[in-house]
Amino acid sequence: MNLFERMQKLDRRWIYIVVALAIIIPLMIPYDSDNVTTPPTENLYQMIDSFAGREDRAILMSFYHDAATMPELFPMEVAILRHAFERNVKVFALTWSPAGAPIIEFAINTVKEEFPDIQSGVHYCNFGYKPQAFAMILGMGDNIANTMNTDAEGRKLENLPIMKGINNYSEMNLVVEFSGSVAGMSWVTYARPKFGLNVAVGVTAVMAADLYPYLQSGQLIGMLSGLKGAAEYEKLVDIFAAYRDPMIDYSITVDEDGNKILPGRPFGREILNDESSLALSKITTQTKAKFTADQYAAFTAKYPEHLTLLNSLRSDEEGLAVIDVTQITPDMRDQMGEVLFRELNQLTRNTLYKFKVARIGMNAQSVAHIMIIVFIIMGNVGYFIQKARGAKD
Amino acid sequence: MSFELFSNLVGAFFTLCIFSFLYKDNPFYQAAEQLLVGISLGYGLVFTYERVFIPYVYQAIVIKHDFILIIPAIMGFLLLFRFSRSLSWLSRYFIAFSMIMVGAGVPMGMHASILVQMRQAMVPIETFNLFLILLGTVAVLLYFFFSKAHSGIYGKFVNVGKWYMMIGFGASFGLTVMARISLLIGRIQFLVNDVFGLIK
Repeated sequence: MNLFERMQKLDRRWIYIVVALAIIIPLMIPYDSDNVTTPPTENLYQMIDSFAGREDRAILMSFYHDAATMPELFPMEVAILRHAFERNVKVFALTWSPAGAPIIEFAINTVKEEFPDIQSGVHYCNFGYKPQAFAMILGMGDNIANTMNTDAEGRKLENLPIMKGINNYSEMNLVVEFSGSVAGMSWVTYARPKFGLNVAVGVTAVMAADLYPYLQSGQLIGMLSGLKGAAEYEKLVDIFAAYRDPMIDYSITVDEDGNKILPGRPFGREILNDESSLALSKITTQTKAKFTADQYAAFTAKYPEHLTLLNSLRSDEEGLAVIDVTQITPDMRDQMGEVLFRELNQLTRNTLYKFKVARIGMNAQSVAHIMIIVFIIMGNVGYFIQKARGAKD
Repeated sequence: MSFELFSNLVGAFFTLCIFSFLYKDNPFYQAAEQLLVGISLGYGLVFTYERVFIPYVYQAIVIKHDFILIIPAIMGFLLLFRFSRSLSWLSRYFIAFSMIMVGAGVPMGMHASILVQMRQAMVPIETFNLFLILLGTVAVLLYFFFSKAHSGIYGKFVNVGKWYMMIGFGASFGLTVMARISLLIGRIQFLVNDVFGLIK
């Protein structure tokens, strides 16, 4: 038996082992790689960001899936919730499937752990499982509180602070449907023509090809497709929504002119294209907060009582003032307080594991794809050489 | 042992049971598969009773006295007659009534899936992409026009439609591979981080 015959008769279990190793190794040894964002993701990000800090705007997240599609859809949901909580965007959530109800709670709790000020009924509202999608979709176009009646905890919607300024799709002007099907088309079919609702979808990669035509025609304003879409959104959140300027005091919520000061910064093409923004979305662990001289002066001015402590932690690297958070002892942490400790950690630009799951997964995805392409090429080469030899004989 | 670690170990055990099928069929795989079916059904049944029947039927009729809901409740109940050979005709009334949904869906579906899509295919050809979309739309539509033989120049043109479809199928296949690999990545992330991360 020659090499090509052996290739054709290779036991498929060897292929499984190679694919498993191609996935396990990049997951256990994460590395920084760029993840280029695409217009469907950027458009959705920008639309959600345009609602930042507004009382009269909200987004609706529809979790129409079960645990089977969580590896692809859950990172998207977490990334969008994180974006909304960072930028003070009101969020409503519902599901048309009983199996989706615990996923909503899991997603919200996963993100909420990092946002102690976020409250149910004030910043977000979980409608829970609702039957009769058709009636609900049309009903919310007239009045959300009357149609949904209560949230998942059984509270009357009309009594919740989040409903202030929110009546129907004129205010809750964007729905993002997460599913492993074309369920998002229900919103496009029933709510978009009648009420002008903006619709976006987060779908498994399998379904993405079916929905691209609706992006081209503008019926979908954005789409996150599979793990890649989730990874792109995570990157945008890191670069814009989770960005903290060391020179701005975010404890002040209104500036001298009466304008709201929101954490993060708005989307900007020039920022995204700038090489330095890659440092904001690294997936390897970051422990050093780096400041220019001006930034350090402005930052320490916010905490004059801790100036001595901050100076004792400071070191200089390549003309930048650097504070390594791993040098902070428990005593120092008690002394500086949680607010300063959290801000220093944010300025390291380190991302928690749960907020970079998709990007770590995309590393493994890239290696696995290369393996699969190699297998396809090898299989084809073997097949055609064997065929040619057979014809010759 | 914390509850989180225990629940993750249970998840890890059944994940490995399912993965064992890649080697060959075995009792562990069979047990995990049947448990999945049973648990899904049981969970769905209890959840639907708690979250649908109780608030939308029982509480609405018995506590809030919204008696008009008795009519749809009876209609829904008729569906259970599917299990009776002699009375299964009763369930057809509900099915006939639910055709309202289909009626509502036709004009709206026509608008979203056909009219708006057609309108967007008829825009001025200002970019090369729009030209490609027009070419693809016409060529694929003509490929499925069988009243004229696919020969000569016409045959070559409709072949372009076939190439468009093959590229589309290739893209679908690529995305399918990506989706399946993502599922495997999700499970391995669970095993590597959520299970072994807690054990460490």
